[in-house]
Amino acid sequence: MSRPDDEVLGKAYDARLMTRLWGVTRPHKRLVILSLVLFPLTAGVELVGPYLVKLAIDHHILVGDWVGLTGMAVLFLITLVALYLLRVAQAYVTQLTGQRVMHDLRHALFAHLQRLDAAFFDRNPVGRLMTRVLTDAEAINEMFTSGMVSIVGDVVTLTGVVVVLLLLNWKLALVTFALVPLLAVAAAYFRIKARDCYRVVRVRLAALSAFLQESIQGVSVIQLFARERQEAVAFAGLNGALRAGQFRSTLYDASLYAIVEAMGSAAVALLLWYGGGEVLAGALTFGGLVAFIEYTSRFFLPIRDLGAKYAVMQAAMVSAERVFALLDTPPAVVGGGHAGGARRPASAAVEFRDVTFAYPGGPPVLRECTFRIGPTERVALVGPTGEGKTTVARLMTRTYDVTAGQVLVDGVDVREWDVRALRRHVGLVPQEPFLFTGTIRENLVLGRDGGNDGGGDGSGALEAALARAQAARLVAGLPGGLDAVVRERGVNLSQGQRQLLAIARALIYNPRVLALDEATSSVDAESETLIRAAVAELLQDRASLIIAHRLSTIQSADRILVLHHGRVREAGRHAELLAAGGIYARLYEMQFGREPA
Amino acid sequence: MSPVRRFLRYLRPYRARYLAGLACLLLATTFSLAIPWTLKEAVDALGREGAHRALVAYAGIILALAVLHGAARLGSRFSIIGAGQWVEHDLRRDLYRTLLRQPAAFYHAQRTGDLMSRATSDVANVRALAGFGSVMLSQTTLAFAGTLIAMASIDPWLTLWAISPTPLLVVTIKRFGQAVDDQSTAVQEQLGVLSAKVQENLAGMPVVRAYTMETRELDHFARLNAEYLARSVRLARTQAGFWPLMGLVGGLGGLIILWLGGRAVVEGRISLGAFVAFNGYLAYLAWPTVALGWTLAVARRGFSSIQRIAEILDAGDSGGLTAPDGARPISSTISGGPETAPALPPSAYDARDASVPAGAIEFRHVTFAYPGRDAALRDVSFTVPAGALVVVVGPTGSGKSTLGVLLARLYDPPSGTVFVGGRDVLDLPVGALRGALGYVPQEAFLFSRSLRENTRLADDDASEARVRAAAVTAGLAEEVEVFPGAWDTVVGERGLTLSGGQRQRVALARALLREAPYLVLDDVFAAVDPAKEMEILRALREALRTRTTLAATHRLRIAELADWIVVLDEGRVVEQGRHAELLAAGGLYARLWRIQQIEAELEQA
Repeated sequence: MSRPDDEVLGKAYDARLMTRLWGVTRPHKRLVILSLVLFPLTAGVELVGPYLVKLAIDHHILVGDWVGLTGMAVLFLITLVALYLLRVAQAYVTQLTGQRVMHDLRHALFAHLQRLDAAFFDRNPVGRLMTRVLTDAEAINEMFTSGMVSIVGDVVTLTGVVVVLLLLNWKLALVTFALVPLLAVAAAYFRIKARDCYRVVRVRLAALSAFLQESIQGVSVIQLFARERQEAVAFAGLNGALRAGQFRSTLYDASLYAIVEAMGSAAVALLLWYGGGEVLAGALTFGGLVAFIEYTSRFFLPIRDLGAKYAVMQAAMVSAERVFALLDTPPAVVGGGHAGGARRPASAAVEFRDVTFAYPGGPPVLRECTFRIGPTERVALVGPTGEGKTTVARLMTRTYDVTAGQVLVDGVDVREWDVRALRRHVGLVPQEPFLFTGTIRENLVLGRDGGNDGGGDGSGALEAALARAQAARLVAGLPGGLDAVVRERGVNLSQGQRQLLAIARALIYNPRVLALDEATSSVDAESETLIRAAVAELLQDRASLIIAHRLSTIQSADRILVLHHGRVREAGRHAELLAAGGIYARLYEMQFGREPA
Repeated sequence: MSPVRRFLRYLRPYRARYLAGLACLLLATTFSLAIPWTLKEAVDALGREGAHRALVAYAGIILALAVLHGAARLGSRFSIIGAGQWVEHDLRRDLYRTLLRQPAAFYHAQRTGDLMSRATSDVANVRALAGFGSVMLSQTTLAFAGTLIAMASIDPWLTLWAISPTPLLVVTIKRFGQAVDDQSTAVQEQLGVLSAKVQENLAGMPVVRAYTMETRELDHFARLNAEYLARSVRLARTQAGFWPLMGLVGGLGGLIILWLGGRAVVEGRISLGAFVAFNGYLAYLAWPTVALGWTLAVARRGFSSIQRIAEILDAGDSGGLTAPDGARPISSTISGGPETAPALPPSAYDARDASVPAGAIEFRHVTFAYPGRDAALRDVSFTVPAGALVVVVGPTGSGKSTLGVLLARLYDPPSGTVFVGGRDVLDLPVGALRGALGYVPQEAFLFSRSLRENTRLADDDASEARVRAAAVTAGLAEEVEVFPGAWDTVVGERGLTLSGGQRQRVALARALLREAPYLVLDDVFAAVDPAKEMEILRALREALRTRTTLAATHRLRIAELADWIVVLDEGRVVEQGRHAELLAAGGLYARLWRIQQIEAELEQA
């Protein structure tokens, strides 16, 4: 559930991160400047109202000037409307800025993820990357809407109030300010306490969630061992601890609010006691006293909420740190300049020269593996499971880089190829037919907008490819035909249908070299016949490496390579290998039974 | 039960707290409303004789009121927010207990993520309603009522004028509130679409790479991202109009007081102090007014969460399956989902002392299908005699595991088909049945706890010696004892990751520790290497002698030791007999045996 790094506390301000954030914000600098203007302006206009009340009392109400009072009321109304408009503009502009920055960040993150290599995805689970793109970007947005910019506004409010109060009556102002350190200390103390409590609550909530998730996943074990009661007791412990933690944080939180409110009222008492005296002594007008009471209350809220804003900034900095760390991760697979077209006539479409490969931190999967595939040769790769067959296909498309040795495509080391050009040249059909949400058409033409040669344009070519892939009837039978909607991961299609579509997709992509990882999931007899025919079409006129599970595919291969313990141990045609009685013969018997004599 | 009634039922145990909280709120409101009133008196006293002394007195009163107000406010929050936390606690406790009682069919129909969100975020929404939301609702009501009374007692006409913008407020909340709700939902929906896109892209990355779809994917994401931006900006525009409008409406009240109240002072109808007090009261209303929209949203969310939680709680309440008295279950084997698969009542587990006699396991013409799927078993009949070891072999998906599942009643078999010690399993209390069974599932599930705790699941009080003995038999002890923490080593996500074989052996030791008359081993050696398998089998032989054992496997070494072998294929018994006989017969068993031989040969090649 929650990872340890959720508990990292960042600094609320980090110059390096700020510089980078400013870089992200720069395209919207007009908006940022506008909000930096609007906040102080709004804060300033907010201070006008109480002053108008003071003027109205002193110059009109107390002297019985009804006409002048009406004038004041009109001014007051204008202020109200101006304030309304400013607040609307300010709220809108900050939201807009935050949302746009978030939009840009998400775009940058997603675009960067498209460039990263398979090894990166092996290290980083999908959930964590989703958090970066969704949650962390959101935290940075919040920094704009309720953190940084509003702190600017608060500073202006505080300064403004201080100035106005000093101008009205500096002695009374100083008396009022006497409460500020007290307030600041109280706010800081309770905020820190509350923050510590929140942290405890988060940790306890994470523990409870983890326990709960485990209980749900292991519920059959709990039931089999009749442990319902013990588990309920353990859960009660976590549940009780969480509640106690929450209550502690409530104690501090509620105390803070109550104390600030009480202090506000205490300030009124203070003003009344000292200010009333000033009024009697003639050092302060009556309206001034009323204004003082008003201003003082506006003074307290920003001080109280500073802590909360600080927390928002802290969270945003932690998120920014993670987001930039992801954006700074360089793609490990960077292409060379070769964009296809042989530099010299190559005798092999694909060649493995002494290739050794190990996944990061793992034992070698391939050891000095050497073989060649001719320009239109069909090569079947067989071997026990877990022997690196899929790895061979991955290395051909440079999903990973070899540990030692060389993989050449068209006579050129794959590392010299432009990665996209290489992958247009060498197609890979993964074992699991992965379909995207969208229409059948979109799922079929996946790579076409990449400017692949061949295949042609328009739906005529698409129809032709569908016919060759034996999928025309299937597509025609779907509601909407090519525009039929594929739901998440193709759950509304059968396994056989998905496999046929994956083959049709590869036919349309039409690569020069094909690495086909045949699906192992069993399908019904009719689909099986169709798939067999479709695979035969797919393998026409190109070099191919097939990780074969179908007898028909193996038998029709020009050559069979037997991969065992990371090496090519046997090579030849089906009949030869069978006759040789080696590894292949045994594998064959295991999978398909004894060869009828 | 309606969501409101269910909600109130959870509040009931804490009604004293809620009443106390309400009383505190009433006091807090009174004290805080008394402050502008005192101010009024003080201001009016300014013009009279002895103003200085009066001022000190009034300042003292305000100070006292401030302290009392603070105390009462604290009291109200502690009691009501505290009670809300208790409500959450109770709700989560009940939810957990209900979850533990749900049968396998329930989990078949639910996703873990969804259950988790009900137990965490929905429960938190209810807490917000029962706690802070309740405080705000009561406080706002009291504030409006109290202010109105206080102002009306000063000057009813001016009060009427001051609150005249309120209908505007109601209209605003109604109009904008709905719009904000709809637009937030639209934003949330788009966020869902966006995250589904990211998830799909990341999960489908091999295809994205292979088909050089990066640009297309980015374009697609950019469209969804732009739509999210558009929806958020639309919401921002509405909200930007909404909240300041609340402030404006409040300000209009202030304007009216300034103008008409000022005139009333000029005309001598009210005192200057009353004018100041009016201003104070309006200021007092400002915050509850602004927060009103938010408070109502909390209430709405809370009630809809109650509804979602109730769906789970009701799945447990509906009853129907009453195992202890031997009544037949109404849950059928083909239908699924929470409605049709009621949980076992708690009493079903209280019968552990009701002992199940040792004896034979018998399957009589069992035909069974998991919800929504083809039959997993078709007319399967065989017997495991008391104290015998019967091994069921067959290819993946042949239905081997289902036999154990039915025996342990993880799913209920049709009545009159599965017998233990001569009794239909459906007639036995589930707790007693499972207590008599050591069951080692195919997927060994370990909890993120110490190895000792994981092994002692069956018996928390098992002695160290017994735990060790079981571990020795399961071929686990030596490995565990070289771990740095030995038996205290915590396993799982945050601890040590065990290999598949080690996990299976922990599960085996766990089952052996429960000295039960029946043992079910479901492909226990799948992840154990052959040499280790032989070693464990040798050690197990003694343990098996005292138990009636049903072992499903696709590895055949254990079959050599079996008293009887049953061969399953596509849910049917295709062969049965002893090892030598079946080999000689040259059927499926002989073929499976040959495959295993080849595997062993290849290992050497």
